[in-house]
Amino acid sequence: MPQRPPRVRSPRFVLAVPAWAWLLAFFVAPIGMVVWFSFGYKPGIFGTHANDVLSFDRYVEALSPTFFTTFQNTLWVGVLGTLLCLIIGMPVAYWMAVKAPPERRGLLLALVMVPFWTNFLVRTLGWQVILAPEGWLSTLLQGIGVTDGPLEVLYTRAAVLIGVVYNYLPLMILPLFVAFDRVSTPLREASKDLGANAVSTFLRVTVPLARPGIIAGVLLVYIPLMGDYITATVLGGAQGNMIGQLVASQFGTAQNWALGSAMAVLLIIVIMLSIGIAAALIWAATLPFRSRSRLILGEGS
Amino acid sequence: MTRNARRGQLGNRLLAVWSVIVFAFLFLPIIVIIAYSFNSGRLLVAWEGFSLAPFAAIFEKPVIRDAVMVSIRTGLIAAVLASLLGTLAGIAMARRPGRWVWWFLGLLLLVSVTPEIVDAVALLPWLVFLGQDLGISLFSDGTARLVVGHSLFSVAIVSYIVRARLVGQDARLEEASADLYATPLRTFMKITLPLAMPAVLAGFLLSFTLSLDNTVVSAFVQVSGTTPWPVYVLSALRSGLRPEIAAVSTIMLVLTLISLALVALVLKRAGDSATQIARTMAGG
Repeated sequence: MPQRPPRVRSPRFVLAVPAWAWLLAFFVAPIGMVVWFSFGYKPGIFGTHANDVLSFDRYVEALSPTFFTTFQNTLWVGVLGTLLCLIIGMPVAYWMAVKAPPERRGLLLALVMVPFWTNFLVRTLGWQVILAPEGWLSTLLQGIGVTDGPLEVLYTRAAVLIGVVYNYLPLMILPLFVAFDRVSTPLREASKDLGANAVSTFLRVTVPLARPGIIAGVLLVYIPLMGDYITATVLGGAQGNMIGQLVASQFGTAQNWALGSAMAVLLIIVIMLSIGIAAALIWAATLPFRSRSRLILGEGS
Repeated sequence: MTRNARRGQLGNRLLAVWSVIVFAFLFLPIIVIIAYSFNSGRLLVAWEGFSLAPFAAIFEKPVIRDAVMVSIRTGLIAAVLASLLGTLAGIAMARRPGRWVWWFLGLLLLVSVTPEIVDAVALLPWLVFLGQDLGISLFSDGTARLVVGHSLFSVAIVSYIVRARLVGQDARLEEASADLYATPLRTFMKITLPLAMPAVLAGFLLSFTLSLDNTVVSAFVQVSGTTPWPVYVLSALRSGLRPEIAAVSTIMLVLTLISLALVALVLKRAGDSATQIARTMAGG
């Protein structure tokens, strides 16, 4: 009997096969099914979907005035929410990574982690308690005379905006922190030695080097924010409708899976298109800057 | 001191003050929920007085107790499953790299960025199809459905974490083991798995927490009778929130904090720095 070679190497990906299979069966296949349903229709009151006649009619139906209003609202909350997260989160991440004492960093990160991992729904309920007209903030503001009547923020677009900025802020701070943490101190000091002040060091050395983290943070916030369902449901009421709720209502109360599927597909298209457009705009807007202040760094940076 | 330096110091102070404000903002609703779990009033939002009644109500109301038990049971099963699949995939990616890794990472990325609502509305018809049209009764079972829904994102997280850990570790130990005539299985059990263990444990705990938190997918795939805790809260939104909900939230928060602290401890004992721990906890 011939000796077995000492190293039998199984095919490379064999250990990953269970995970592949699982994700194909419960992620790719269901999404494929939704895409398939979106070309069908709702047969009668009791059926949820039928696919014997295929058409784009559900997409036409989905692009109704209601959808457009909701779509605009979603885009408004999505873009403004992401920008606010960036503006609020960037100084914090920079301070944590660069200015705060290094031995405190673990604690500071833990302080961002706790809200991040606290139940999303519970955090949002916390805001409902805060913003409620009969809640303590309302009483407090009336007590010190800032407002005359009860606080009327809950169930408006503003409440949704507060909620999403709050809910997704840790997702912005964490990648930004990691990015700023990577920009080493010697580079910033070199920039200072070469006569740059703090602002131009930040804009011309730190930010360009931290760009991957900024992009990651923006995408990590924007994508789930556009598909948000919980924040809008808990804080939004009728005025704060978002596409996610529209999709959910078609699968829930309306029982029209065909239309709901078309809306879900549209949601993904809207997200991808808006990211593409934003990327193109930013690319075009920064073109004149890039050619002048290009930063070339070796491997050691 | 030059004017520039003084301005710089002022800037630093402003940054610090801003950060403190933002941290306060991040904790505000959490503190409010904890405080309101001691509210003696009938409705959650209207504070009346201090009381432990909301916590007692958890034990008196079987609906709430059952919902919490469903959540914990589902969380454990989903975490075991996700750790198993994710660990194997992570090891394969780190130790058998090739072009397939990019395809697989692409799939994991898609899983982690797809908005939850899309996953949710896609899984519902799919599970109905598997359970009713194909007659696989497992997929009509409430717990099984929840586990399937909760496992997707967790599989991605565990794969990322395990891969990240092993990529940073020397593969020569495994080669040495093979040179010493250990069988591949023995090498795997004695070398690879122990090397990956901190990441596996961290992944397990994070999966458990993710499952406890999962609301959107659960709301769609759940079968009545196995309602997990967050879905119960979501339905209570319509009928009026009561202080018990804050009380259970406080207990769940403590559970989350314990598993996070365990993650940090496991990673710290494995020699990770604060930044590395943060990166792992943010999902690789």
